[in-house]
Amino acid sequence: MAEIFIDNKRFEFEGPTKVLQFILDNGLELPFFCYHPSLSIPANCRKCFVEAGQPVFNRETNSFELDENGERVIRFFPKLMTACSLDATDGMVIKTHVTSELVRRGQKDTLELILINHPLDCPICDQAGECPLQIQTYKYGPEGSRFEHKKVHKPKRIQLGPRVVLDAERCINCTRCVRFTDEISKSKQLTIVQRGDNNYPVTAPGLEFDDPYSVNTVDICPVGALTSSDFRFKARVWEMSQTPSIDITNGKGCSIDIWTRDNLVMRITPRYNPHINDYWMPDAGREAYKIYNENRISRPEVNVDNQKIKSSWNNALLTTSEKIQSIQPNEILVVGSAYASVEDNFALAKFFGQLGQEKAVFAPNIIEGSGDDFLISDDLAPNTSGCEFLGIDQLDKEKLAAEITSDQYKLIVILHEDVVGRQIVTADQLASKFSIYLGTNKNQTSAVSNVVIPVTTAAEHFVSYVNVQGRIQRTIPAKETLYTNRRLDLEMSMGRLDHFGTQFDNWVTDKNKIDCIPAWEFLVRLAHELNIDFKFNSAREVFQEIVAGTDHFSDVSYERIDSELGVDLANKQKEELNLA
Amino acid sequence: MQNYEFTKEELAKIDKIIAKYPNPQPAVMPVLWMAQEKFGHVEPEVQQLVAKTLDLTPAHVYGVASFYTQYYKEKKGKYVLDVCTSFSCQACGAYDTLHELEEKLGIKAGETTEDGMFSIQSVECLGACGYAPMMQITNDVYVNHLTSEKLDKVIEGLKQDKLPEFEPIPLVQNREPAEEK
Repeated sequence: MAEIFIDNKRFEFEGPTKVLQFILDNGLELPFFCYHPSLSIPANCRKCFVEAGQPVFNRETNSFELDENGERVIRFFPKLMTACSLDATDGMVIKTHVTSELVRRGQKDTLELILINHPLDCPICDQAGECPLQIQTYKYGPEGSRFEHKKVHKPKRIQLGPRVVLDAERCINCTRCVRFTDEISKSKQLTIVQRGDNNYPVTAPGLEFDDPYSVNTVDICPVGALTSSDFRFKARVWEMSQTPSIDITNGKGCSIDIWTRDNLVMRITPRYNPHINDYWMPDAGREAYKIYNENRISRPEVNVDNQKIKSSWNNALLTTSEKIQSIQPNEILVVGSAYASVEDNFALAKFFGQLGQEKAVFAPNIIEGSGDDFLISDDLAPNTSGCEFLGIDQLDKEKLAAEITSDQYKLIVILHEDVVGRQIVTADQLASKFSIYLGTNKNQTSAVSNVVIPVTTAAEHFVSYVNVQGRIQRTIPAKETLYTNRRLDLEMSMGRLDHFGTQFDNWVTDKNKIDCIPAWEFLVRLAHELNIDFKFNSAREVFQEIVAGTDHFSDVSYERIDSELGVDLANKQKEELNLA
Repeated sequence: MQNYEFTKEELAKIDKIIAKYPNPQPAVMPVLWMAQEKFGHVEPEVQQLVAKTLDLTPAHVYGVASFYTQYYKEKKGKYVLDVCTSFSCQACGAYDTLHELEEKLGIKAGETTEDGMFSIQSVECLGACGYAPMMQITNDVYVNHLTSEKLDKVIEGLKQDKLPEFEPIPLVQNREPAEEK
């Protein structure tokens, strides 16, 4: 196997690889700005300098030349090389800043040049705290600036597009954003203009940066030049806690991180998942923080004399159980949803199955042609495949409307699906029936339902979703509800404020906690009222029962989902077929 | 807004330019030149026309056009005086020359006189460091070794639409050889 020596340590590598990528893959450190594993390599930041050399090979003796100590003679490249663009070769010797004074000097001088025109506005810059330039200046940079002249001034606060703001003075011209629009989103809307120290990225005059993936450029910007107009000045990085989750606004189910402060979702960023979204996500998915924060149903609501009143959980449970007891099981229509999780759909179908209504239906929300062939799928719901795999009857909108309006049913139980908002039935049609809505946000369906049960969103519960490719992924709660607690639930993440904040601080409150429970938990409580043997203590137990009872989910566990970044259920199925 | 378009003959010529290269990107510069010769400038609308003609994005064309001061991104005067203010010229007094020129014409660098005759630009190196300080007139003739009198003469000439003559420069070889040690 080919060998390479990095700072006097021997490593083995296979196949073509770049030196920088190899160093990063092996957990070593080398500073860089412009390199990105998914983009082309321009080598223009000059930060990943290394000394590189190769052993001298004597063709006559057909062996490596050795010095008096018996060591290989190394012929170094005359100048420092950028590791990002340097191909690793057999026997190569690399000296990084760990062993080479020259490299340390090179990195320091490069940083000094980059910083010459960079404004010193870290205290008000959104990138501060997660800024490669800031981190690397602390670590490898010069101690001060020798530049005593007026800095070059460039345009500030340019609204490049609806979601991205540019501060050209902070830009270090790494061209990551330009390469992203050229190579990944392919909109080619950005370009570097002017030249020399006036360089900065911008769109053509009169045109907007309205790429549906535009905010990814904010994520990959190694400085604060590009900022999200939505998140700008909302929160400092170190105040938030970061929780892995998945995008629920689209069938693709991109892996994301949810950033919360005081139980409000402040922003959503993509999380690396090579099986689904690589490093990217569509802008629409970042708007999901509104679903988690705004217009939530908190505390159950019950219709009394045609007026919606907030009620206790007990009252809501009694109202529901009385209604169920007053009719036959086959008079209940059970509507699952591709917007709800695998666990909730399963629990719903199982609960009413035990009650005597075996049939559960759902209507997928697929709009042909609304997606692209990248990260936006035609399927607008996050769990259509999950519902299919669970064996819930798939109906189109018209058929579901016919079921809901049919005289056969006296009670409609709706999980999460906004049947009125999606124009499956009209508000009057639904209002003419007794309906129970288990939902997260106030909408047109919750407005006309007789009983409204607040359930947790993807940011508040442990559950799994199956995306359009048939890949199952799970969410971890990022927000506390009234009934969960980060300090007690060891799977929830805790940022600095969560750790050190107390209820007596003015930045920690209870007001952002929603009074809601997972849908399966509500069904467990309802089962207690109705004396049905239906008991789960956690979503994990629900999932274990799914795994034990459903072919599609066999051999899957939360641990496997975590360690393998999701499990491909669709292909697993095929593999088994091949084996047979 | 004026509608900018290439004629059929020009499009044929552009096709020939594109055919010289493996992809359309390198054709941006010659086509921008054609456009500037035709319209007198490459304003954003013209850049969009070039982008459309070459099947590129307007952003790419804008990036190229903005890199070169020789492309006029806005309407300019009849004669554009590009005064080099890069290092060699600067050391030989290019800023004095520029300010003198600004005073003579009553405009600042980057502006155009009211009669639309002259524009002044402060530009980067034009590759004539040996003849500093110097300027170029409308991407054409170089005027070398600028002095106050020379500027007056050139401006007077241009007012009568007379471009200054090309100035032959004595060859380096003809200088006195340096003393040998």
